[in-house]
Order: sequence, then structure tokens, then C-alpha cells
Amino acid sequence: MDGNGRWAKRRSLPRTAGHEAAEATVIDVIEAARSAGVEWLSLYAFSTENWNRPGAEVDHLMRLVRRVVRKHAPLLLARGIRCRFLGVSDPRIPPGLARDFEDLTTLTGGNRAMTLTVAFDHGGRRDIVEAARSLIRGGTPAEEVTEQLFAAHLPFPDTPDVDLVIRTSGEQRISNFMLWKVAYAEWVFPEVLWPDFRAPDFLACLHSYGRRERRFGGLPPQTNGDTR
Amino acid sequence: MTTGSSGEDAPRTDAGRPAGGPDLLGPDSHFGAFFDDPRWALALIRATVLEAAHPQVGAALVANSTFVAHPWRRLRNTLLSLRRMFDADPAVREREAARLNRLHGRMSGSDSRGRAYDAMDRPTRAWVVATLFESAVTMCRLSGQPLDGDAVERLYAEHRAFLAVLDGDASELPEDLPGFWRYFDRVVENELENTEAARVILFRLFDHLPAPALLDGAPTLWAAGRAVAGPLLGAITVASLPEPYRRRACLPEMPGARSLMQGAYLAAGLARFLPEGWLDAESAIRLLTLSPGDEDPQSRTAAALHSRMKRASALLRLLTPLGEGSGGDPAPTARPASAAGRGEDRRSAEEFFRQVLDQTGDGYLDWPDLAAMARELCTRLDLDEPEETRLYDAFAAWWRELQAALDADGDGRVSAEEYAAAVPSLAGPALIRVAEVLFDATDKDGSGTIDADEYRALFRTAFHRDLTGGDGVCGRSAFVGDFLSFMSARRTSTPYDSVLADA
Repeated sequence: MDGNGRWAKRRSLPRTAGHEAAEATVIDVIEAARSAGVEWLSLYAFSTENWNRPGAEVDHLMRLVRRVVRKHAPLLLARGIRCRFLGVSDPRIPPGLARDFEDLTTLTGGNRAMTLTVAFDHGGRRDIVEAARSLIRGGTPAEEVTEQLFAAHLPFPDTPDVDLVIRTSGEQRISNFMLWKVAYAEWVFPEVLWPDFRAPDFLACLHSYGRRERRFGGLPPQTNGDTR
Repeated sequence: MTTGSSGEDAPRTDAGRPAGGPDLLGPDSHFGAFFDDPRWALALIRATVLEAAHPQVGAALVANSTFVAHPWRRLRNTLLSLRRMFDADPAVREREAARLNRLHGRMSGSDSRGRAYDAMDRPTRAWVVATLFESAVTMCRLSGQPLDGDAVERLYAEHRAFLAVLDGDASELPEDLPGFWRYFDRVVENELENTEAARVILFRLFDHLPAPALLDGAPTLWAAGRAVAGPLLGAITVASLPEPYRRRACLPEMPGARSLMQGAYLAAGLARFLPEGWLDAESAIRLLTLSPGDEDPQSRTAAALHSRMKRASALLRLLTPLGEGSGGDPAPTARPASAAGRGEDRRSAEEFFRQVLDQTGDGYLDWPDLAAMARELCTRLDLDEPEETRLYDAFAAWWRELQAALDADGDGRVSAEEYAAAVPSLAGPALIRVAEVLFDATDKDGSGTIDADEYRALFRTAFHRDLTGGDGVCGRSAFVGDFLSFMSARRTSTPYDSVLADA
């Protein structure tokens, strides 16, 4: 969800206006993903590094997120979307917001149509450190640690590996996002800024993903002859 | 007054058995017939206020009882104890009486004005039985269905028999009914006071009644219902008390309270027209004290209900418009909730103090709080001597350790602030000793491991899955570790929650 600030700057608006404009995109993308049959959607809303932004902007963002969560909770419930929040451990998160996250998670916990993971106050490295801690605390012997076991100690272990990452506004960095899960992800970097990103852009990204050949480190299948 | 104090009040118990031989106290007794009577709920509150108005009983209640902080657990224990006192088998009744006597034998001290109280004081115990009898008779009168003379005679004989089982003989209560009424009026007019315990029951208990485990997920709903029902119950109870006591204690006379009270008794009395089997105090209480973690099918239903209610209240909270300055932090309670949600599974120090350590709900950690824990564990495990004393001794040693470590200002008790300031030092050798003694007590067959049945006796649930090594039994070190992680690491969602933390 990059480009809110630039979007606002181009219109000579305060940065906060860009964040507010992002709300429509979020809802649009969730709807588009659901109707396109996507079962797992994650949004990177706020990273552990975003705390370094100016205090007023962070405060505004927290209030905005809270408003958005409360406003759209009934819609998410009605659409059968299971919501959950990845991260959310910093004490600077206002208690009211944490409570709303908790409530939305409880409320939609029984839904099955799509899982929406909102990474809020998320850091991929921190998750890995947490998994290591949890392994050590559990007293797992070193030889027994496998990739699978390790993955089972990450937060939300039921999340499958990420297939496609869309990073808007032309930025081409990982920025500490779900480091473990993106190992074999395909990446798409549309130039459009997040507040302008809409369902057709999302579908275009899905389409471009569909054309890619995913090899997971192997060789492409033999193409001569009849592969049927 | 022994009665009030812990889940196991003796006093109520006694009420159940009629005078005289086993026949008087068996399941066919008059008193037994009241057991499932909805009027009895009102009468029991009234009887408890009359008990608590006795200075000795009041002092013991305030110092030892868990009824403010854990009313549902306490109510359940009282009812179970009553059931036993009514058991058809005299041996069961004797054993229960002995248990109650041991329990009350551990309660003595002095009240805030320095007057000594002793839960074994015979005249006081007789008074407790007297209030039960008098409340049963009054309940029938107030609901417009008075007992006839013979029934009252028999009921009185039953109560004297009940006292006799507890105390050895019933000589503290007058032999015949006319003597009893003179005795009762004299005590009401001369001995009862406006004690703190009576005030707590009348004006505080119902206004602050914590939700039973089943309704824990719907605090808003519970608080709304309580805000209406609490003051009503208080007014009804006040109006049903004897006039001389109301005058002495300066209790308020509300206009209409008397009609309200009579209406409530009358309505409750009409429940006798309900089909048989609809009213069963025991199953109602069981339902209320079910905690969603239990394994029996009923509690699975309850758990499903519980999660629906949690969802409903989450939706309600999300739909409530934000106040001015949206994004403001409504309550500090949100923090622990979200911490638990993230899997940290720990209580804050303040929460732990309130839910677990301060069993009597007076805001301080004192010996009666730990004694209440020991009492609850003994009750669950149905311990006899000498195991019971060993457990109490272990708790007493832990109390000395806590006092030495935490009581910074030297007033002999530990406040929530003192606890929060010194939190990490809870896991001393005495606490580990408590865990070991508890293990020995739980391990009834002395096999060195706790099997599924022994586990269920203590926690009323099946094994916690990470506690057993896969062989279906739980060893000493796992048990001790689990206890410590509850007590000193303040972990939530352990089986101990249902024993010590639930209301």
C-alpha cells in the first residue's frame, strides 16, 4: 500500500489526505479479490519501521484505521471474510484500536470465504525471531528443527506461502514483509499509486501472475512434443 | 459466623437436615422439599443477611468469605454441601459435618473493633440454623402459602437435628417452638447489628456481582441486567427483614418495597405450578458455574453459546459510535485482552491480584485469601485428614514467605501496589512446596503420577494436552511446572482458572 504520501503531494494536500484516500482502495481490492476467488489476501498496513514517521501522522493513521475497522466490520462479516491482524504487539498502539482488532477477529473468526490478514505493526524479521524464541522455549533439540517445524512456530502458521506480492507506486523492495512466506513469491510492481489502485489494476496483476511460469527453483517442463 | 465464609459454609448446610435421626434429615425431609423451591432463593438471601447481622458471623464473613469475589463458586460449594447433608446415607452426612467442622475450626480472629470471633462458637452456630428455619417459615408466609402447625413443628425438629449432626447436640436451640420464637425475637432485638457484612450483602453484592463463567463473554449484557436486578433484590430483601432489625440497623423504607417484596415471593411461589422437573437448583447452578473449557456435552453447548455471545458483544462494541475524540482509549482493560489475543497468555499483575490472589475481594492479600484457596482445593479433592492439614500447612508456609517478601509497609497484609512492585518474587521454595503437596493430595492412589480420573477430580476437565507426556498420565514435574506457571508466571487459560480465578 505505497504511494499515499506522493498521491497527496501531487494534489498539494496534506499526507494524511493520502491515507484517507487509501480507504476506498482497500475496500475495492478486498471486494475484487473475493470475487476473483482469492482465498488468502494480506495487506501490509503498517510496518514496525513506520513508527519512525512523524508523531502526528502516526496518530492520525491510528485514528483512521480505527474508524475504517469499525465502519466496515459489518460488511466484512456479511461477505464471509475472516479477518486477523498480524503483529499488533507494540505498546504504542492505542488500546481502543487493539480492542477493535480483537473484536473484529472474534467477530469474523467463523468465516470461511476468504482470509484477510492485515499486517499492522508487522516486521518479517521479528516474526522469525519470535518463532526461534518459541522453539527454544519449547526445548526443541537442534537436530529436530526443520523448515516445516520452524514455519509452524511463526504467527498464523495456517497461512500458506505467499504466491503473489503486489507493491504499488513503483517501489521495488521487500521492506521486511512476511520474509519467511515470500520465499518463492512472484512480485508485481505496478506504477500506480495506492489511492488510485482499483479493482481493474488488481485484476491486471492477477492476470500477469497467471501468465508467469512458476518453477520453484526447478527446470521448466519439456516443451517439445505433446505435453497434453 | 461460619456460615458465610467460604464456599463451604456450614450454616447453610445444616439447614437441610431435620431433627432427629437419619429419617429427619434424609431426602424426604421438609427442608429437602424446599431445596428446589424458587422462593428459597429469596429466602436464602434473607437468611444470609440475618446471619451476617450477627456480629460474630458478620466478622467471620467479612474476613474469610469469598462470596464477594467468587460468588458462583461459593454458591455451588454451598449447594453441594447441602446435598450431602441431606444424603440418605447417615455416613455421608457425618463425614460432611466433620468436614464442615474442620473447615470452620480454621476460622477465628477478631473484627475491626477488636472483638473476637470464632466460627466454632456454639451459640453463633445455633443462630445460623435458626435463621434458616425462620426464613423458611417466613418465606411460606410471605408467599401466601403458610405452613400448618404440624409442618412447622416438624421443620423445626429437622433443623434441630441438623444442628445436632454438626454440633453433637442441639441444646443451643430451645426445645419447642414457643421457646424458639422468644429466642429469635430476643436475638433480633438485642444482638443483631448493622454489620459490615450485612451491608455488603444488601447493598454491594448484587450491584457488583461478577458474571458467572458462562456469561463472561457478555459483560455489557450482564452489567445491564445487574443494574436493574441488583437494587430490586436489595429492596426486596430489606422489606422482608424483621421490623425490629430494620429499625435498629436504620435500613431504608422504600415506598412500595413491601408490595414488591410480597409480589416477588408470590410470583416465585407460583412456580409450584410448573411441570415437575423444571426446577432443579442443582442443574441451574451447574450451568452457571460451567466454564467453557469443561468436557461434558452440556458445556460444549455452553461453549458454543459462549462464542456466539462473544461475537455478538464484539459486534456490539464495533457498532457503538465512538465518543468525542475518536481513537481515544476507552479503558485500560483493552490492553490485557489484546495481549491474551496475541498469544502471550499472561495476566497483568493487577488482574492476577484481583482474580486469583485476593480471594475475599477486600483489596488486600492476607492469610484468609490463601486459606480460601486451600479450602477450595480441599473441597475439590474431597480431602480427609491428615492431607487437609498438610495442604493448609503448605499454604501457611507460603503465606509467611509472601509476607516476608512482599509486605513492604509491615502492616501484615499485602496490597495490590506492594504486589505489583515486587511481582517477580512469587516463586519461592514455599510455593514449590505447595505444588508438591497438592500433587501428593491429587495423586490419591500414591502411584507417583496423576491419571485422568485424579486429574478430573481437581479440575473437572480432561487432561490439558501439553501436560501429559503422551502416556495419559501426568508426572510430578509437569504438574509442579504447570502450577508454577499459573501462580508465578500468571499464565491464563490453565485448568487452574476454573478452580481459583473464575467468579
